[in-house]
Amino acid sequence: MTNSAAEGMGGFKDVRHVSPATLDSRSYGRALLAAAREDDRIVCLGADLSQPTQTDLFRDEIPSRFFMMGIQEAHMVGAAGGMARVGDIPVCHSFCVFITRRVYDQVAMQVAYPKLPVKLVGFLPGLATELGPSHQAIDDVALMRALPNMVVLEPRGPEQVGAAVAAMLSHDGPVYLRLMTSRSQKDDNSPLVPLTIGKGQVVRSGRDIALIAAGIMVRKAEETADLLAGHGLSATVVNMASLKPIDGEMIRDIAKTHRAILTAENHSRVGGLGSAVAEVLAEAGLPIKFRIAAINDVFSEGASLTYLLEKHGLTAPALCAAAIGLLQETPLKTIG
Amino acid sequence: MMPASNHSEVPETRGATRTRASGAALDAHALALRRTVVSMIRRVRVGYLLQGLGAADIFATLFFSEMRLRPDNPEWEGRDRFLLSTAHNTALLYATFANRGFFSLDRLETYTQDGSPLEVNASERMGAVVEATCGSLGQGLSVAVGMALSLRRRGSDARVYVVLGDGELQEGQVWEAALSAGNYRLDNLCMVVDRNCLQVEGHTDKVLRFNPIPAKFAAFGWQAEEINGNDRTALLDAFDRARACKDRPYVISALTTPGAGVPFLEGQMSHVALLTPEDADRAEEYLKGMVK
Repeated sequence: MTNSAAEGMGGFKDVRHVSPATLDSRSYGRALLAAAREDDRIVCLGADLSQPTQTDLFRDEIPSRFFMMGIQEAHMVGAAGGMARVGDIPVCHSFCVFITRRVYDQVAMQVAYPKLPVKLVGFLPGLATELGPSHQAIDDVALMRALPNMVVLEPRGPEQVGAAVAAMLSHDGPVYLRLMTSRSQKDDNSPLVPLTIGKGQVVRSGRDIALIAAGIMVRKAEETADLLAGHGLSATVVNMASLKPIDGEMIRDIAKTHRAILTAENHSRVGGLGSAVAEVLAEAGLPIKFRIAAINDVFSEGASLTYLLEKHGLTAPALCAAAIGLLQETPLKTIG
Repeated sequence: MMPASNHSEVPETRGATRTRASGAALDAHALALRRTVVSMIRRVRVGYLLQGLGAADIFATLFFSEMRLRPDNPEWEGRDRFLLSTAHNTALLYATFANRGFFSLDRLETYTQDGSPLEVNASERMGAVVEATCGSLGQGLSVAVGMALSLRRRGSDARVYVVLGDGELQEGQVWEAALSAGNYRLDNLCMVVDRNCLQVEGHTDKVLRFNPIPAKFAAFGWQAEEINGNDRTALLDAFDRARACKDRPYVISALTTPGAGVPFLEGQMSHVALLTPEDADRAEEYLKGMVK
């Protein structure tokens, strides 16, 4: 897999033509609407979830470019492919599980294979719903990573949503955007965070262990770093919002300068962020203590996010314990 | 709306305008398609022979009369769009492209060869002439709906034509797309169902009964009719009615006979037929005799 958006990913362009109104928005719906005001190729497709996907704003202001497709996700994605072939930039919306797993073949053949600028925006990532396994997207990152030409983005929170929308719309090809609604993340005052496809961000620098996280787990990783500091341990925290292409260069540099890496994701341990980091480490032949904190290859259940993160070991105290355990393990033996 | 590109130096009568071809001209085109299909399947021995012969009249009327195309400029924005949703009836599809002038007949010799863009299932490796890569059954109509929506939104008068196999109607996504086309009143969309009653397992009625086809689509908001899909005049008339129909998408259930046009092959029911050299000789001899 390429580590650079510029390599083989279909003419990555920077975000300069996306206005500050998009970049500065902390709400997905406002960011998309701001971009659509300036680019009449952008069309918005929905599958009966306008309010939950924040596209009611688009629907009400630009009805001529809003297409309600009904509860027909497979058709929505196929039609988006047709629209893109006429010159539009279709942005499809649903919950994460329905915009990936349910429509996988349509995404593969009508979006990814032809490398069309169709954007797939999913809400309710991972454990973020009380509706249970039918609505919990624990495998969406794995599925989308497996598709050639697909870019996968998961911003850390409202402070990175505008940048994620700008990066998505500026990329000349398919993008899967995995979003937590800002309603569930109330801190709207933290500084805006940029996002570059193919690049990770060092949120804070440490020496002992690196915590590499995406989405809501970035905040947990920061809290974990605080806890580790109380144990006299210094942690680097990385926001890996670009899950594919992933920043291999950054991962290799981290592996050379830290004693251990712990990844944290709101997703199955199979095929997600941890797997992507492991692929880079293994192929680079870098011996480093490594653990994946994720949903442990099980289906979950309907319950509150707080309860489920606790149950699956995805809280700061659990990550702190995992990090300490990892650092205390016997040092790796080098072969030969 | 974006202007159509200007290729006035090309002596093309069926470009920006739509001119109904004469019966004699279509006879010759359909015959040429059938002869090309037989020669292509002769080379590969096994393939979509019966379906190719069966749908030759649909393709002849679409490509040589109904659709506005510019073979010299396949990406011309004003072109009508054509999608073959099953993607596998490619001896006929490629024969049509070549006979229509999108590329030379010589290129057909690479059909299904390793490395050739002329794959068994048509893909956009062929270039712009393949508007979308289908073949995963049930997807083509959705793509067509998307194209029709965006063309209409942009004020284009280009039309979208999509050919589905009848067995393909068993895919649920077709009915999602059918609902959507009816809901959006896409009168720039025309679907032809190649009703040859042939699928891998055998006769469609033995797999999953789905007659009547027109009534189903009518209930989904379409204007629908059923005709003899090997009657070129009936096809031309149906396309005329489709274009005249307002506020509804149009579906033509075209009853076709597998192997049509070659008497000893007509009505054979084999999804992937073997064509022996002897049978190829026989078929070519017969079709040669039909040339006027």
